[in-house]
Amino acid sequence: MGGTGSQLSKELLSEYQELTFLTKQEILLAYKKFAELLLKEERSRILSVRIPKAKILTLPELKANPFQHRICHVFSTSEYQDDSMSFEDFLDMLSVFSDSATPEIKSHYAFRIFDFDDDGALDSHDLEKLVNCLTGEAEGTKLSESEMDQLIQNILEESDIDKDGTINLSEFQHVISRSPDFVSSFKIVL
Amino acid sequence: MLTEEDEDYFTEPGFHLPGTPISNQMLPSLPPLPMQPQHNHHSEAGSPSSEVQQQEWIAERLEGDSRSVKELPLNLSEKRRIRERQELRMRKMSGWNSWMDRQHRAVQRLWEQTTEAFQYTEMWRGSLHRIEGHFGSGVQSYFSFLRFLVLMNFVTFLLVGGFIVIPNMVFEELQLKINTTSPVTTGNQTCFDYNPKRQGLVQFYEYVMDLLSGTGYMELTYLFYGFYENTAVDLKTFSYNIPLAYLITILFYFLLSLVWTVIRSVNRFKQSLVNEDSSLNNYSNKVFVGWDFCISEEQSVRLKQNSLRYELKMDLEEEALKKRQAAQTKLQCTRVYTLRTIVHLLVLALLGAAFYTIYVATGYSQQLISQDSVVSSNFFLGLLVQYLPSIVITAAITILPIFFNIFSRLEKYSLTWEIKLTLIRCVFLRFASLVILLYSLWTQITCNGQKDESHCKTCGYNNIYPCWETRLGQEMYKLAIFDFLTVLVMILLVDFPRRMIVQHCSCKLIQLWGQQEFQVPSNVLDLIYGQTVCWIGTFFCPLLPLLNTIKYFIIFYLKKMTLLKNCCPAKRTFRASSSNFFFLLVLLFGLALSWVPILYSIFVITPSKACGPFQGQFFIWDTIPNAVEPLPQVTKEFLYFISSQAFLVPIFLLLCILISYLVALANSYGQLVKELKVYMQLEGRDKHFLVKQINRTE
Repeated sequence: MGGTGSQLSKELLSEYQELTFLTKQEILLAYKKFAELLLKEERSRILSVRIPKAKILTLPELKANPFQHRICHVFSTSEYQDDSMSFEDFLDMLSVFSDSATPEIKSHYAFRIFDFDDDGALDSHDLEKLVNCLTGEAEGTKLSESEMDQLIQNILEESDIDKDGTINLSEFQHVISRSPDFVSSFKIVL
Repeated sequence: MLTEEDEDYFTEPGFHLPGTPISNQMLPSLPPLPMQPQHNHHSEAGSPSSEVQQQEWIAERLEGDSRSVKELPLNLSEKRRIRERQELRMRKMSGWNSWMDRQHRAVQRLWEQTTEAFQYTEMWRGSLHRIEGHFGSGVQSYFSFLRFLVLMNFVTFLLVGGFIVIPNMVFEELQLKINTTSPVTTGNQTCFDYNPKRQGLVQFYEYVMDLLSGTGYMELTYLFYGFYENTAVDLKTFSYNIPLAYLITILFYFLLSLVWTVIRSVNRFKQSLVNEDSSLNNYSNKVFVGWDFCISEEQSVRLKQNSLRYELKMDLEEEALKKRQAAQTKLQCTRVYTLRTIVHLLVLALLGAAFYTIYVATGYSQQLISQDSVVSSNFFLGLLVQYLPSIVITAAITILPIFFNIFSRLEKYSLTWEIKLTLIRCVFLRFASLVILLYSLWTQITCNGQKDESHCKTCGYNNIYPCWETRLGQEMYKLAIFDFLTVLVMILLVDFPRRMIVQHCSCKLIQLWGQQEFQVPSNVLDLIYGQTVCWIGTFFCPLLPLLNTIKYFIIFYLKKMTLLKNCCPAKRTFRASSSNFFFLLVLLFGLALSWVPILYSIFVITPSKACGPFQGQFFIWDTIPNAVEPLPQVTKEFLYFISSQAFLVPIFLLLCILISYLVALANSYGQLVKELKVYMQLEGRDKHFLVKQINRTE
């Protein structure tokens, strides 16, 4: 594994351990994977370089994921809104998707990933996009319009506790807290 | 940097920070309503200075938070800032407090390091991860269940091996001074006539047969009950009483299995209790939690999407069906009900036929083995007779579920019910077959419970079984071996050829047949069946946990191989959580079932006089009173008191009271949840009203 550039300093490593849910091994593995995505000449300044979205999405863990764009968008801290990711963004993402992250933090980020228009609530358009991601967006795989309407109506009926037509974060977390599978399925491990 | 959207989430009511005045949150926590301008904090966040202010404000609020920094939903640079502020504040704090804080952190880090270290010792982590990536967490739950069984069998083997097998071996090897604990009373000579060794020249095929069925030279090894001795060895300070050790170790073995399984299921039980009204959240659950982010294969993603679409469509259809059914006429109703009754009767008839066959086959096989004239001369015939009960049981277990599946489609239950009903029938079939087998053996051994019948009069048990415990052990040994062979044969002769044919033949019919699906429920039931056999057999065949460990260890790799090579994900996925608890419940049921024959033979049947650690006693349980007898008076009285009704009945009543209290508590919590839901709805309506009022005044 020559050519991964400079190694992480000890202080930085322990800081990352304290600030994320990742273990030491996981951070080092993330570092290695991140370095592999970089060009040779960029590897020396691995902590300051941003990787463009298109390249991040070549990771096998994200390549096939239907929520790949949303994940990049939510975890990117880029000022230019181009969804590029720095190493710390990348760690943030892995931390949330790690085994040991708490259900609260997982559901918080799940909500942000599912909130396609970033307005802080899941309305019927968000839900429609979400369902399309789940079933596949192609014409043949989509649910029919009447099915989609019925489905969204059912979801709102179940989860929109204050009946305002949208699902907010607390309502979302309420649903998630009743579903023990969530923690095991909201997980990406390198 | 905080972007605008971050703040939006930040001020959501779900992310309530403890200790913050509610008035601070009033406005931003309003849901963005259509009539209300979104991003109402736009003006505040406009200039860079106010942005910094915002950050300061947030950081201040978070300082009082009891959660550790990593649990905050912020990105790394923000978390770093908050931590810096916390450290700053810590310096201001008194020495004691900051010391406490540091200690707290050190302990936390130590804990993290230990858990990290443990993660690497965890068995098959990589394999499980890979399976999860291909097939999702439902299939992975099968493999983690398998791992749990391997671990449990191994640990229980250490228990049995350490207290029964190894002491026996050591004493035998060193030929220590041995006292016979209970001298064998002279009785009818027929009871002592026990010599399993083959006479004369032993053919090679006989060795193989002995290995497979545990007879001949295998019978006189540490594998079976009959080989252990009824001796006590006087060591320097204490005497090691083998019968006592045997009995107590087996009881502990069951206790350990029980505790371990219960601990594992309590966790799942909590989850499934929380999940109890999941039918209310059915669609939300499927949509919000449906996606498995672990899946990374392109093809698996497509399959997962297909299965999700299928499930959603099915659920919608089912709902429509229910609505239609509610509007059904009486005639249609009666038609469905008669159909269901007929199907139930059919299932019962099939089950009855299967049980009768098992009963007859077991009796027949036992008779032929005892006569041992014609059969033993032919290798295959002999093996067939030895394995007849196993073959019949396995056939019943494999064939009947196919019919159950077909029937369940006729019954027109809802899909979820259809699956549950089929599963319950399969569970019943498996356990009942074992019960029938044991019952058949019981009638053979105890002459149908009639002690004054000619065969049973002399020894207290049927005298054609001079060592009946070993015979029972052999039956369980054969069941375990045959179970393993079936898995092996199914994989080699069915799964692999099927994949070959499907891959290389473009014939339409075969393509329709398609690749095999990995059915989690039936596979898990197989494991539970094997484990129950092991539990029943351990008393009579102490090395069975070791065999089971090896068996499940190999099965893990076989199943993993066939899963990755031959299978495609099932159309209807099985949810990990709901199944997990159900399977552990079935496992507990299997454990309870296995206690019945063990306790029965400990308390009721006379142990065989010719072999084993309990020879010469009336009942196996007599070992305990005999061991208590020489103890000091106080201890003795204490032990007698604990086992007396005066102690046990109040304890029983106390437990009943405790249970009813807990049930009442759980009910009241359920009530509370319901009331809070209503309260939330009211609050929501209030909020709506207020927003409307504000808009009107503006």
